[in-house]
Amino acid sequence: MRRVRPLGMVLLLVGLLIPAMLGEAQERGITPTEIVIGSTVPLSGPVSYWGSGVGGGIDAYLKWINEQGGVHGRRFRVVLRDDSYFPPRAVLNARELVEREGVFAIVGMIGTANTFAARDYIIESKALWITPTSNDIWAGFRNRKYLFVTWPSYLHEGRILTQYAAEKLSTKKIAVFYQNDEYGLGLLRGVKYGVGTAKGVKFVGQASYEVTDADVSAQAVKLRASGADTVFLAATPTAGALIVREMAKLGFRPTLLATFTLGDPIMFRLAGEAWNDVYSTAYFPLPGTGDAKVDQMLATLIRINPALRGSPYNALAGVTFIEPLVEAFRRAGRDVTKEKVVAALETLRNWDGEVSRSVTFGPERHQGLNRLRVVKASNGQYVNITDWITYPTQY
Amino acid sequence: MVDLVQYAVGGLAAGTLYGLVALGIVLLYRSSRVLNFAHGDLGALAAFVAFTFLVRLEWPFLPAVASSLVAAAALGVAFYFFVLRPAREATLLGRIVVTLGLALAVNGAITLVWGADTKVFPFPLSDVRVYRIGSVVVSQMSLGLTAVGLLLMALLYLLVQRTKIGLAMRAVSQDLVAAQALGIPSRRIFALTWGLAGALGAAAGILTAPVTLLTPFMMLDPFIKGFAAAVLGGMDSMPGAVVGGWVLGLAESLFAGFVSFKFKTTFAFLIIILTLMLRPEGLLGREYHRRV
Amino acid sequence: MELRQRYEEDLYLVRGPAAWLAVAAGLIGLFLFPLYAPGYVTFTVVLIAVNAIIAIGLNLLTGFTGQISLGHAGFVAIGAYAAGLLAARVGLPWWIAWPAAGMIAAAFGFLVGLPALRLTGPYLTIATLGFGIAVHQVLTNWEALSGGRMGLAIPRVTFGPAALSADQRLYYLAVSIAVLLTWVAYNLARSHVGRAFVAIRDSDIAAEVIGVNLTRYKTLAFAVSAFYAGIGGAMLAQALRHIDPQLFTLFESIYYFSMIVIGGLASIPGAIIGAAVLTVLPQQLSGFREWLPVIFGSAIILMMALEPRGLYGRWLRIKRYFTTWPL
Repeated sequence: MRRVRPLGMVLLLVGLLIPAMLGEAQERGITPTEIVIGSTVPLSGPVSYWGSGVGGGIDAYLKWINEQGGVHGRRFRVVLRDDSYFPPRAVLNARELVEREGVFAIVGMIGTANTFAARDYIIESKALWITPTSNDIWAGFRNRKYLFVTWPSYLHEGRILTQYAAEKLSTKKIAVFYQNDEYGLGLLRGVKYGVGTAKGVKFVGQASYEVTDADVSAQAVKLRASGADTVFLAATPTAGALIVREMAKLGFRPTLLATFTLGDPIMFRLAGEAWNDVYSTAYFPLPGTGDAKVDQMLATLIRINPALRGSPYNALAGVTFIEPLVEAFRRAGRDVTKEKVVAALETLRNWDGEVSRSVTFGPERHQGLNRLRVVKASNGQYVNITDWITYPTQY
Repeated sequence: MVDLVQYAVGGLAAGTLYGLVALGIVLLYRSSRVLNFAHGDLGALAAFVAFTFLVRLEWPFLPAVASSLVAAAALGVAFYFFVLRPAREATLLGRIVVTLGLALAVNGAITLVWGADTKVFPFPLSDVRVYRIGSVVVSQMSLGLTAVGLLLMALLYLLVQRTKIGLAMRAVSQDLVAAQALGIPSRRIFALTWGLAGALGAAAGILTAPVTLLTPFMMLDPFIKGFAAAVLGGMDSMPGAVVGGWVLGLAESLFAGFVSFKFKTTFAFLIIILTLMLRPEGLLGREYHRRV
Repeated sequence: MELRQRYEEDLYLVRGPAAWLAVAAGLIGLFLFPLYAPGYVTFTVVLIAVNAIIAIGLNLLTGFTGQISLGHAGFVAIGAYAAGLLAARVGLPWWIAWPAAGMIAAAFGFLVGLPALRLTGPYLTIATLGFGIAVHQVLTNWEALSGGRMGLAIPRVTFGPAALSADQRLYYLAVSIAVLLTWVAYNLARSHVGRAFVAIRDSDIAAEVIGVNLTRYKTLAFAVSAFYAGIGGAMLAQALRHIDPQLFTLFESIYYFSMIVIGGLASIPGAIIGAAVLTVLPQQLSGFREWLPVIFGSAIILMMALEPRGLYGRWLRIKRYFTTWPL
């Protein structure tokens, strides 16, 4: 054993020196002809609706950029990996994306659990990380030099919709139907915050469901029993459609408020008539609300990947994740390094892309998005009913 | 009081679905001792097949559903002949893992072919049209579902208890070698059981789809609850499967309504475990005497 | 073929110089591995070690004792949260917190073992499955204890020389514990306890008749198995440094169960092989995107169809072929 030890020490030193000597001659993930972008999203399992839409949107958008010749002669290559919504797999995917595929940036990552599990590693790896969709976990988080987020705040969304309902829809009693996870809880906190700041509205009840629940009839009865005149839906499209149908079945028709991910046109098909007059918010112009650029982009995405027809909202959301990064590459010029891309991102001021609107970053501000507008569903279409409402940035 | 009855109605409707799923699980377990973890996903697949017939090819309802039931039965038989028989050396647990692999593959195939987005399944009975009894509301769909569930249970009970095929099924499950020695074509019996179970799963899937909307994962929760219902009722009892489903659905719904949504599944399983402590063979199961 | 003359010789763990050499080579290989492997590979091996510990524990329960558990993720969760809370809130060092986490999980294992005295087959499956779901729901909703869905941050363990990277230190810690627990499992399996387990699996009534105390050994099997799961959970928490109830769902329980069946029931190397295959395979396939479940599911079916006794059975056949070669 004693003889082994010096040998081990030597091997150890050699082992440590080899990677140090190899070093990195050029920026990871950037070659003269190519920029490598990685993403890990759930493409299988119960949350795959989200993952395949967002991942597909990112993929199709970059293909479209490549069709036009890429940026400064470089084409984008996307390495999309499936984590099935398992945190350990998300962590391993992030590691393999950085260490094996050598990606320049990781775009997205869905869910607070996965984001949390991979956070330390991605931050330490110094890979650029664009818009993990999670609850607001970044306020007070120090190391976010390479982290840029353009995702609305659940807390402020819940507050804004609640205040709007109290002021304009004469809401007196509000109840919340929410998914029992960080997503639903974040919105629930937002509604309670809104109830605290608005006048004349009371919080009367809440009913939660699990993402795998097939039956929400008990929740509908509970919401009716709460005596609410307004119900806020913090749910997935499927569960949102189910609860609306169950409430309609009971003859319970309160004013409905729905979180922004339910601004999906698919809701009209799933919930049918009952979806009319639902109030929701939007952080980019929803398709069919009169914004030609967004409608054009959606048509392009569907042309490139026809499967995206089934999840138009998520595909467009995917575009909002990646767009600012592509713009930063345009601004950073031909001779690009990571620091230049970061600097370019930080020059974005009220920047409008194909889908994104008013993205602002700065050296002290990595929360790119701070406004929402209220929309209303009527006759199978969403209609803008307020102007943009801004909320304070936190990081 | 109105709320109490309404919770109960919702619970019974959900319970009927669990019972329907449980019937297929029980049928297979009785004859082959295999727990089929792919049962739910086969049902979902059948619902998607029916969806294609109905919406894409615009067939009338009955032929579309009948064809998808036949397709699911064929898939069950094919699975038995091409996967389970070649792997017959596998232990019982090995066969369970094979069905787990099948569940994964079938589910993945559904997502590949039809996409992960949610779809609306057209159905002649409406889930939104309701009947009012006092101030309690029952939907047309729930009534239809309950009727179909009871009918299927009765037919299966007759098949297993009153026909020669049923007798053969019971024989192969109790002693395979003796049954073969008596000239029972065990392979055909097993294939028939798999086919029947596939069709039952398909029926459960097609009846679930209009209620929960059509997604590749719609059978995840009904399958687990159906499995639990089968165990609660007794793994070898057809009426037990339906009763188990109802008890489970009622327990969940009432507990959710009056105590907590978050712990309703925990509560349901607590009831199951307590029941099993008192009756290890389930509510309506027959006690199985083992010999050394 | 060597001739065994005494009964004790049959019990030796490592037989003959060739076997000793193989074990030594394996250990040295494990020691040198992280010095050359890239970080993500090292990390993958850490996850394999974690899963192997859990799978070995589950195999002691299911493979050796014949008791099915589809709630093992519950024990893993208890270990992970116990270790995390003891380290984060009480401030205990890992070498106290981890064994304590294992013991807490073992206590729960003992409790779950009590219904198992009366239940078998699918009835036991549902009882353990219910336990797993209960643990998940309690951890999700008891926010004061677990941090709820926001999860729990795990303080980093400081262990080993500072010259090594964090991955390497974690690797040495995880692999040493895995080797130690593998050795313990081998010893347990060949002792009178292991023989009692096997007797219960083959026929619990017969075992009772010949004097095996069913109550003691069935609950012991559950407790030992849960201890392994608890230690595995503590290590998983350290590897991810952030835990969340979503890590411990029914899917994970099914995964652990598949590991031992695919690797080989009632076999310790089988559990390790199964853990390695089911950790690496989906990861390597994740580039196939939407095709992953289809390919992974088919691979599981294929492995069971070709090797109904598990992958370890294949290894035994190869070995047997070469021991008699060239005959």
